[in-house]
Amino acid sequence: MGISVTRLVKIYGSTTIVHGISFSVADGEFVTLLGPSGCGKTTTLRCIAGLERTNGGVIEIDGKVVSDAEHDIFVASHERNLGMVFQSYAIWPHMSVAANVAFPLEVRGIRDTREAVAWALDVVGLAALAQRQPSELSGGQQQRVALARAIVGRPKVLLFDEPLSNLDARLRDRTRAEISRIQKELSIPAVYVTHDQAEALSMSDRVIVMDLGRIIEEGKPRDLYRRPASRFTADFIGAANFLSLVYREQAWFAPDGSAVRLANPEPGVAGETRVAVLRSEIMEIRARDKAIGQDNHNALHGTVKGLQYMGPHIEYSIDISGVPLNALSNEEFEVGAAVLVTFRPQDIHLLPRSETPQSPSP
Amino acid sequence: MSNHSATTVSTAAATDQAASSPVNQPGRVSASEPLFGGGGLLGTIYILTFVLVALLVVIPLVALVYGSLRSAAPGMPGEWTLANWAALASPGIVGTFATTIGIGIASSLISAMIGTALAIIVHRTDFRGGSTVTALVSLSFFLPSFILAMAWIIIGSPGGLINGVLEDVLGLEGWKVDAYTVTGIIFVMALHQIPFVFLIMCGPIIGMDASYEEAARASGASPYAVLRRITLPLLSYSLTSSLVLSFILSIEQFAIPALMGIPGHVPVLATQLYLLVRFPPPDYGLAASIGLTLSALTGVALWLQRRIARNNRLTVTTGKAGRLVSIPLGRWRWAANALCWGYLALALIFPIVILAYVSVIKYFNANPIEAAYTLRNYVFLYESGATLHSFWNTLIVSGLGALTGVVLASFISYFTLRQRPPAYHALDFTANLPFGVPGVVLGLGLLWAYAYIPLPIYGTLVILVIAFITRFLSYATETIGGRLVQIDKSLEEAAWTAGATRIQGIRRVLVPLALPSLRGAYFLLFMAFFREIASAVLLYTASSNVLSTSIWSFFEQANWGLASSLSLTSMVAVLAFMYLLMRLARVRPMRRYMTDPNADNAVKQ
Repeated sequence: MGISVTRLVKIYGSTTIVHGISFSVADGEFVTLLGPSGCGKTTTLRCIAGLERTNGGVIEIDGKVVSDAEHDIFVASHERNLGMVFQSYAIWPHMSVAANVAFPLEVRGIRDTREAVAWALDVVGLAALAQRQPSELSGGQQQRVALARAIVGRPKVLLFDEPLSNLDARLRDRTRAEISRIQKELSIPAVYVTHDQAEALSMSDRVIVMDLGRIIEEGKPRDLYRRPASRFTADFIGAANFLSLVYREQAWFAPDGSAVRLANPEPGVAGETRVAVLRSEIMEIRARDKAIGQDNHNALHGTVKGLQYMGPHIEYSIDISGVPLNALSNEEFEVGAAVLVTFRPQDIHLLPRSETPQSPSP
Repeated sequence: MSNHSATTVSTAAATDQAASSPVNQPGRVSASEPLFGGGGLLGTIYILTFVLVALLVVIPLVALVYGSLRSAAPGMPGEWTLANWAALASPGIVGTFATTIGIGIASSLISAMIGTALAIIVHRTDFRGGSTVTALVSLSFFLPSFILAMAWIIIGSPGGLINGVLEDVLGLEGWKVDAYTVTGIIFVMALHQIPFVFLIMCGPIIGMDASYEEAARASGASPYAVLRRITLPLLSYSLTSSLVLSFILSIEQFAIPALMGIPGHVPVLATQLYLLVRFPPPDYGLAASIGLTLSALTGVALWLQRRIARNNRLTVTTGKAGRLVSIPLGRWRWAANALCWGYLALALIFPIVILAYVSVIKYFNANPIEAAYTLRNYVFLYESGATLHSFWNTLIVSGLGALTGVVLASFISYFTLRQRPPAYHALDFTANLPFGVPGVVLGLGLLWAYAYIPLPIYGTLVILVIAFITRFLSYATETIGGRLVQIDKSLEEAAWTAGATRIQGIRRVLVPLALPSLRGAYFLLFMAFFREIASAVLLYTASSNVLSTSIWSFFEQANWGLASSLSLTSMVAVLAFMYLLMRLARVRPMRRYMTDPNADNAVKQ
């Protein structure tokens, strides 16, 4: 049955934080709310959790209405049958690991919690630490206690509020995989809030991109990455270059005058300008003098303006007839080098007409 | 005032209904929604708390205003008049006003300087024995002002120890010391307030962000230059704030100017009020207008202090505790030692030794070799039923009264800091209001009020408990509130999403985590109730004598021996009782949690 959010509105004082958004999460589905801070994603999650009252719209969990401001329906958090992992973990420091995990069962009046606690701790791989105090645990271990506590009651819904943001990079990667695995095993619908695109792309069945209290777009991770429908999504997910292409003589042309070939050719109106997304991590850079005789398609002529050495690759900023372009490569070029930037037709994506700025760029 | 509170109470009731039937009303919903998710119980507690606090605070204040406008004594038929306010302009009262402010400024300047110096010496230099000094200064914080004043009267009054030594032992005729003077009062007041400043200044001094000083040192400043150019300027807000607080304490101080100023004819506002009520012909109306004026004075000072303290947040950054470098004392070590130990000798050690000496001699004698020793004072205390009675009364008033106060303060802190229901600001304001009302003024207000209110509590322990709770409620809310704001909101939210009701969340998560502060607040209230004399002095009778009032009346009867022996006995008894209580209250798992330095981080997150 999952979760369904319909026209959710949340207002603080005179500021509207969430502007009537709607989405649903199917049974067993992992959905991520992705967006910059202040976009309303955490507020949305807290409304689902019953930690905030809504000002409009309906929230249903497992087919039951839990929040409906218009009809005076509000089911308190503790009656929603949730499992939630907080950004701060919120492990109660005065209870042992086992007591923390047993808590959701105890408050629901379940006497014998031993088996369930052992199961939950086993799932997160902390069975050996049951009797520890939270202060004796590392950040990653506390995180897993929080996860065990969230799943121990076999909730109808799992909610995650930026659970990995306090972990270091290496631990974050490992825990990411762990959370995905556990959610898939238990097949509980999950809503995950983050501003980290890597988390969103790697864990989710579906990603909902939010900004300023509205849903910008939603889709499968690879669709959002490769074929975003909006400039905002393209910019927020991954490192994107925006090129203004001009349509003439039945073809699209880059700012340097070179022709661009698209995987899904989309004809335009003569003289029309459209914005295309070009991912900096899937381009190839070659010295121009070594690339003579190349096909003239999808090859931009530029000059290296600057570079940053990043370790696995070098980040070049390249000037294409006055338009800056970022490209990654592990080939070495000097500043001022004349280069040819090439890419495959499937790696450039034309944004819808509505995403092109009104005043045409040069 | 009463009108204001009455309306806020009714809005609270109205919105509670709104909370149980939520309507879509943008703008009314705050960040801490949902309200009263634990059914009606929390809402009911909120309304009860609000009404109780309003009654505690509003009744004596309204009674005072009423009294200041009446021509007759409380309960007597009289007429409306402005004469009591006009009488404030008489030269006598204006003079008293000036004396009060003068004494306040002098004693607060001295105590702010010495208290800060002690705190810097102990925490920021390579002074040896800092922890002993801290412990003893904290102990002197709990030495009641009237006991300190008594000791210094025994030492410095015209018939006291110093004069005895000068005349009888050294044979010097011309040299005289008199404690019953403005200088004497300022001296004892400063001694009494130095620990207060010390304890306030320790926090900012220890918690100061080390990087400010490190940056100064990296720029080439010597340790002394860092202190003068960086540390002290950064502390200036805290210093000003503690100066103002100390000023408030000294103008509302009753015991010291009463014991020393009344015999020496040095009136201050608090003692003038007391004399007007206590000695015939009484003038209750004038006393009320003096009391309100004094409250207005402390109120303005308090407002000033709050403003300073609010600005202070911008400068002193407590957070990452870096290593603060100690300043080497070098050849000034003797001065630091002299200041620390000299202060402790004058404020704690010497007074207690004197009280012990006076309690075991038959007649006062400045020469301990010639004195006639006796234990009759202690025997008298042991055999006297009245003393035993006042012990029991203190146990009831301090023990149970403090418990009631802590429960009330917990509700107030929970509602004003966590729940934030409608009108919580008004609750916060009302609960803090009595902090600006001097004790003797509060006593007068209650005296007026219960002359009219048909409750037979005048002259009982109940009215003492009411007075003490009203007066010291803000001490407890500060202590508990300080802890509550450290407990991350998500710890409670995690309980709710885990299936716990509001009440379960409070009981299982909030209370255990706030327990240290609840204990601390209880300890603070217990000691405050035990040593309180100002608000009790107009309210006690022979049957409702507590230890502080018993000691007071022994001293008033010039029975130094009994006053001294009872002072010592009761201080020992109270400390022993508190120690026992602290041991009993220490729950096992909490100790583990408390002693773990990392555990606290988990709470703050």
